[in-house]
Amino acid sequence: MTDNKTMTARELALDMLIEILEKGSFCHIVERQALSKYQYLPKKDRALAARITEGVVERLLSLDYAVNRVSRTKTDKMKPVIRNILRIGAYQILYMDRIPDSAACNEAVKLAVKRRFAGLKGFVNGVLRSVAREKENLVFPDEETRLSIPDWLLSMWKQELGEEQALAVAEAMLRERPTCVRCNQDKEDVERIVKSLTDQGVQVTRLPDFDDILYIRNYDYLEALEAFSMGWIQVQDVSSSLVGRAAAPKAGDFVLDVCGAPGGKSLHMADLLKGTGMVEARDLTVQKVSLIEENISRSGFSNIRAKVWDALEPDEEMKRQADIVLADLPCSGLGIIGRKPDIKYRMTREGCRELSELQREILSVVWEYVKPGGILIYSTCTISRAENQENMEWLLREFPFETVDISQSVGTVFQEETAKKGYLQFLPGRHPSDGFFLTVLKRKQQ
Amino acid sequence: MATRQIRTMGDDILYRECKPVKEMTPRLKQLIADMFETMYETGGVGLAAPQVGILKQIVVIDVEDGNQYVLVNPEILETEGSQTGQEGCLSVPGKSGLVTRPNKVKVRAFDENMEEFELVGEEFLARAICHECDHLHGRLYVDLVEGELEDVSDMEDEE
Repeated sequence: MTDNKTMTARELALDMLIEILEKGSFCHIVERQALSKYQYLPKKDRALAARITEGVVERLLSLDYAVNRVSRTKTDKMKPVIRNILRIGAYQILYMDRIPDSAACNEAVKLAVKRRFAGLKGFVNGVLRSVAREKENLVFPDEETRLSIPDWLLSMWKQELGEEQALAVAEAMLRERPTCVRCNQDKEDVERIVKSLTDQGVQVTRLPDFDDILYIRNYDYLEALEAFSMGWIQVQDVSSSLVGRAAAPKAGDFVLDVCGAPGGKSLHMADLLKGTGMVEARDLTVQKVSLIEENISRSGFSNIRAKVWDALEPDEEMKRQADIVLADLPCSGLGIIGRKPDIKYRMTREGCRELSELQREILSVVWEYVKPGGILIYSTCTISRAENQENMEWLLREFPFETVDISQSVGTVFQEETAKKGYLQFLPGRHPSDGFFLTVLKRKQQ
Repeated sequence: MATRQIRTMGDDILYRECKPVKEMTPRLKQLIADMFETMYETGGVGLAAPQVGILKQIVVIDVEDGNQYVLVNPEILETEGSQTGQEGCLSVPGKSGLVTRPNKVKVRAFDENMEEFELVGEEFLARAICHECDHLHGRLYVDLVEGELEDVSDMEDEE
């Protein structure tokens, strides 16, 4: 009999990697779809499949180097199935201590046979045994290969952040981090939420100065957590929840979020408004807006609504209406490579420049929605001067805004000199967060 | 050890009744070893002797539960419940189909040293035991398929 149905963790990882690396699908989307399709697999198998998939994408350049060092046929000449089986094997050998090398090799050989490459099982076995044998002697030729980061990106960061900080950021992106969630304090007491989580076996850590932020690990499905299904917690990195803190809305304020999906920052604003005022979260497509709506209905807040609107499209009726405008704009995403590792291979320096242009186009439309004396918050989840500091300086030059001192609202762990000048660039490795940029600007009265 | 050629659907030998093994011989032990090797080589999880052209009641199974089962002269004693799922066969390459089987079976058989034993298999193991025992009586899963026999998509065709 043959086995057409039983899916093993490594086979699932192989399918996901072929989707991501060979067909160009997005890592987080492929993973979400596959893991929900294979919910019947035991938790440990799903966890292993996810770990291997993310790990291979994250370490791709290092793995290909390690394989090509011992294989006469180079990865770019191999059949896709075979090169991904080798990457999966090499990842376990080089980066997963708890899996014995022999198991990594055997499983790879079995997988090759199962995928009808029985003829290549000797090759797969030979290459992986060499990788295992040679692992103590493995020296990467440069930092780019060791950190699996494209040349252009590391050199851009070195230029902008200095060599030491750039390497620290790239290292930090490779470290495993817990999921960061924000508690909706309007709905439930934080202590009660922490208890509910720990009762369900979740490991919770907290951050000084930030009562409502929790780092959680060791859970299976978010959906299976009471705190999540009750709308008490919201997945949101601490850096982006700082937007709400820095904005400090007053009771009755009208807040407009021009690129709101999936709604994390808007919901935080609604929470901070404690049932007063109104938050309008907009985004470009019906799909994105329905994501916001889903999150709104889960939260149960009534002072928030969602609307389909293209941020590039001027809305005459909105001019001078908002107390606070949130502009968390489309960006290169270089700050969240730790969670979406495929970004680093997709983005280019040209891409960053084009996005910086797009951000300026949007900003030149949405600044007008801010009331005189109101606040504009510009943020991105990237680490790129062209998109961040340079756009802030451009805003201050072109439009009637001044910076706001935010040093009082960011707590101690994120404190930087620049907070007084109205902005912060969060850097993984330096701050316990994703890479993120945030600036708070006030519209002048005249 | 050697791998043996797998007979495929259409070959008359797959439809015949197999003879019980009277005594274990070095040749039969070699056959069992070869059956395991052939099964692993082709990525199967179970193989019956007629599939390699030998009309003897011998089955090997490895569903990756940590055991290598050898069933000589197996006899299914009890079945319980049912399960419906995809099934495939090394003798019907590239195809699969939906088959309903008992969810739990109890089987009596002899091992490669002709020691009698009983084995209870559930779910996937139960499916494999039924599938392989059918081979010993000239039955193929294709006659049990509900709906159409489907083509198994080939990863290597996608290049």
